[in-house]
Amino acid sequence: MDNNTGMSPFEAAFHASAERHERFWIFGVLVMLVLLTIGTMFYVVHDYGLVTGTHSYATDPQAPAREAAFQDGKVVRTGPNAYAVYVVGRAWHWSPDVIHVPEGAEITFYVTSADVLHGFEIQGTPVNLTAVPGVVGTVRYTFRHAGLFRILCNEYCGMFHHAMVARIIVDPAGTP
Amino acid sequence: MSMDITADTIPSALPRSDSDRAATSMRRLMLAFLVMGFSALLVGATIGPLQALNYGGIDAYPALRPLLQSYYQGLTIHGVMNGYVFTFFVTCGLLVYLPARELGVAPNLAMWRACFAVMALGTLCVFYAMADNSSSVLWTFYPPLKGSPFFYIGITLLALGSTMPLPILLKMRATWRRHRPGEITPLVTYMSLTTMLMWGLAGVGVVAELVLQLDPWSLGLIGTVDPIVNRTLFWLTGHPIVYFWLMPAYVSWYGLLSRQVGGKLISDPMARITFALLMIFSLPVGTHHQFSDPGFSSIWRGILVVLTMSVATPSLVTAFTIGLSLEYAGRLRGGRGWFGWFSALPWGDPSVAAQVLAAVTFILGGATGVVNGSWQLNAIVHNTTFIPGHFHVTVGSVTAMTFMAISFWMVPHLTGRQLVSRRLALFSVWTWFVGMTIFAIGMTWAGLYGVPRRAWVSALPHETYHALYGMASVPLALVALGGVLLWVASYTFFAVFFGTILFGRRTAPPPIPFAQSFGGPASSTIDSPPNPAQSASPLIRALDHIWLLTGVTALATVAAYIPILWPFLHHVTRAPGWILW
Ligand code: HEM
Ligand SMILES: [Cu+2]
Ligand SMILES: [Cu+2]
Repeated sequence: MDNNTGMSPFEAAFHASAERHERFWIFGVLVMLVLLTIGTMFYVVHDYGLVTGTHSYATDPQAPAREAAFQDGKVVRTGPNAYAVYVVGRAWHWSPDVIHVPEGAEITFYVTSADVLHGFEIQGTPVNLTAVPGVVGTVRYTFRHAGLFRILCNEYCGMFHHAMVARIIVDPAGTP
Repeated sequence: MSMDITADTIPSALPRSDSDRAATSMRRLMLAFLVMGFSALLVGATIGPLQALNYGGIDAYPALRPLLQSYYQGLTIHGVMNGYVFTFFVTCGLLVYLPARELGVAPNLAMWRACFAVMALGTLCVFYAMADNSSSVLWTFYPPLKGSPFFYIGITLLALGSTMPLPILLKMRATWRRHRPGEITPLVTYMSLTTMLMWGLAGVGVVAELVLQLDPWSLGLIGTVDPIVNRTLFWLTGHPIVYFWLMPAYVSWYGLLSRQVGGKLISDPMARITFALLMIFSLPVGTHHQFSDPGFSSIWRGILVVLTMSVATPSLVTAFTIGLSLEYAGRLRGGRGWFGWFSALPWGDPSVAAQVLAAVTFILGGATGVVNGSWQLNAIVHNTTFIPGHFHVTVGSVTAMTFMAISFWMVPHLTGRQLVSRRLALFSVWTWFVGMTIFAIGMTWAGLYGVPRRAWVSALPHETYHALYGMASVPLALVALGGVLLWVASYTFFAVFFGTILFGRRTAPPPIPFAQSFGGPASSTIDSPPNPAQSASPLIRALDHIWLLTGVTALATVAAYIPILWPFLHHVTRAPGWILW
């Protein structure tokens, strides 16, 4: 680079070395980011991790919550070791508010909201799904250990948002 | 900075930014922007620590009635005043004032005043709507929660006002270029312009959300809105807004800091590349805030992860360029060895200390950002305290501390008054640094236990709080501790800031510390000697075609959002509003 301001020898030397390092650094940054990206993608492809999906949309925001499956809040057996669970968020509780599922079974949660947005978070797991009125979202998860888990609401929904807590009880495998 | 004027080369009709009258009006207006911004922060930073105490299990809110009805009312005020009002006012001041002085061209003062007035009116409306608890919808105002019309109209005015520096900048640049054909845009102006162009494009999302949906909805003109479409439009702006917070801080780091530490910017081209990349990458990736929402295909999420990671590139380039510029200055000042240059920096200058410490916190901010951007890790931290933990070591430190740093030289520059106490200024930024670091470590750590953000957890019965969050008691205690330190830090800062404006001793106003880059000209004002030997590389010349850059960004954004919005627009939900606070 030309200059009409005059560089001191130190400045010129620093400049030259800076330009060398600059290329090296940018190369390093790009490699790191590519590796990070491949890393996360591999993780995703490898076990596909946790994916939130969409089951259905409705024009009437309350329509899904009125469906029988959501009204009953039942745990439905859908396969040899697979269950479907239907959960509705309402200001300010989840229904049903106690859910029993067996350890080691693949659970598909169908989640919707009857009013505003809620956040379906199962504490201590990566399960995280926005409950949207008029939309039924899905997320699949297998509990590896028996015990008590809590569903928290993690999307602001008004005055008692912090008290919107339900329980999932994972029963040890083999119990009926 | 006023270079001696060679008046004969410049037509006298040209509005010059250092002519007496123009300069005085500009200074007044710039000071007004600063005062408005920092007053908003005063409100926001008063409430912030209450939220930190909340997570530590201490509920101060019953004692605050009737001032604040609830945690959520306070949180709405905190998010809006800090995230919008504070940052918008300081930025819309700086990104006009600095380029005007760099170019030596006066801005269109009427337009700049209008920018101030529109945003001030917006602030008034929003503040009214938040103060009477009619709109405790938080700063993201996701429908179908429904606030008052004052809230949405106020935000609309704030958003529109915040893009008004764009035409001012374009006009100043055009004037400058008419007189200096063939030269590329000076650096500070270039950085400011790309920031405003990025923001002008980004604003389309939230303005569409407000003007087409929420404004008429709150006024009763339409009955229902679609929650997912509006959420998507919000994040079309809500992601780029983080760059609207970050880029002005980078303007100071690239454009001023090297001079403040007594050295030079080692690479002007790197600064331009950084800003161009930030502009292009920040727009298409807004939906990474919706990894947990239904309605997005897995393929799209994969693409988003790649794009989001790419956004880290310009920030890592910044780390290198700024780090090396600091090293250069440190070595000039006699620093030796691996770290000697770092301790040789002028740490006694609060403006330098604030910016260097801000840069240090950004290591944590950037690392947590990469976690958020990785789809699967995001599932673990989504909407936990990890997220506010992350953005308080970005906007809460990088932006806030850099703006504080700027005020330390700028208030004396604007008012001709000396800083009331250099020591108190230093104390405030060190305490902010320590407090924010402890706070952020606590928040991110607690997030790993699934502690949800935006939750009035201290209002829960004691046993419930412990049953749910007992395992996170150590990190949550750190959050509370950090919050208390931040109270001390912010009030010390405000004492210095307002004290200087009101009571500072008279002094000759210091000049603006514009940095010179290696091989760059000493001044870029419109009447400075021409810079014909400029041998900018073809890449840099190409980047100077800002409309090309804008076009590419717009195209990428449209391409990213059509596949997302298409299915949503075919499955519209008609949701009525809810008032639940
Ligand atoms: C004075 C020091 C500060 C403290 C102690 C503080 C504390 C907090 C806490 C604890 C939260 C999380 C609340 C929750 O999720 O329930 C929060 C949210 C937030 N803070 Fe701060 N903060 C401070 C300064 C700032 C600054 C300087 C900014 C920006 C310039 C900022 C912007 C925000 C925003 C945008 C939110 C999100 C609000 C929301 O989730 O709706 N804060 N703050
Ligand atoms: Cu909820
Ligand atoms: Cu983002």
